[in-house]
Amino acid sequence: MDARLDAVTEAGAGEIVVTRVLDAPRELVFAAWTDEERLKRWWAPKGCTTQFCTVDLRPGGKFHYCMRMSDGKDVWGIGIYREIVALERIVYIDSFADAEGNPVPPTHYGLSADHPAETLLTVTFAERAGKTTLTLRHALPATVTERDATEQGWIEMLDRLAQDLAKARDGGPRWTQR
Amino acid sequence: MASVDDLSATLNALADPTRRAILARLATGEAAVKELAEPFDMSLQAVSKHLKVLERGGLIVRTRQAQSRPCRIQPAALKDVADWLENYRKLWDQRLDRLGDYLKELQTKDREKDNGRKA
Repeated sequence: MDARLDAVTEAGAGEIVVTRVLDAPRELVFAAWTDEERLKRWWAPKGCTTQFCTVDLRPGGKFHYCMRMSDGKDVWGIGIYREIVALERIVYIDSFADAEGNPVPPTHYGLSADHPAETLLTVTFAERAGKTTLTLRHALPATVTERDATEQGWIEMLDRLAQDLAKARDGGPRWTQR
Repeated sequence: MASVDDLSATLNALADPTRRAILARLATGEAAVKELAEPFDMSLQAVSKHLKVLERGGLIVRTRQAQSRPCRIQPAALKDVADWLENYRKLWDQRLDRLGDYLKELQTKDREKDNGRKA
């Protein structure tokens, strides 16, 4: 197995693709994503805890969770499952929520009303030799993902431009020069 | 870092293949509207509209002095988008780190149980 466990594969417009090889069979990884008690053990990012988590694993069902952030504030989220293929694939729409599981606008958590209210998550699981490759696509709002089919990787273009900007600040080539 | 409102305007400006093509062209150097319109089968007015959206999104500036008002790319806004995307990546990296640790812990326990049974 490749020593590099993390890989960021080519992402399309406005989406993030993260691939990770986990040293566990697919059943275990899928269970960690779909079983309430297991989800609570890892869902919150570093320094945060998962205070609450319910899973209704069926299309249209809810994945309702609450993360206590490192500053002590609670952030509730709701996922609405769109597609479940046991052991293979989970697709859901993620948004901010209240404690009752109703989606709330991002303003509820002090963000601007223009902040994207929904994002689309697609997680796939593939097993090989007892290890599971997890591929996660986090798609940003439709305004960003709209594109023509022939164009790829414009996010990489943005990255390159941002890098060039940093260079320009360091006295490198300037945009206005040819 | 720009405010989220600015970010939203930037994202809107980027959500169009023509505008992204214009940006890609401007990345090679400044250009007048007429020059920018050349590769597209559209009127100068239509291209000007796209330029206005790019301007609102903070992605380009238009020079005031010259009569042709050449456009120049402003990469700072692009960096804001890249930063914003980077936040999502960080979140998933941290979550998947914890998932990896948790799976390891689960399997260690299982192995210990198995060993206990065998003993």
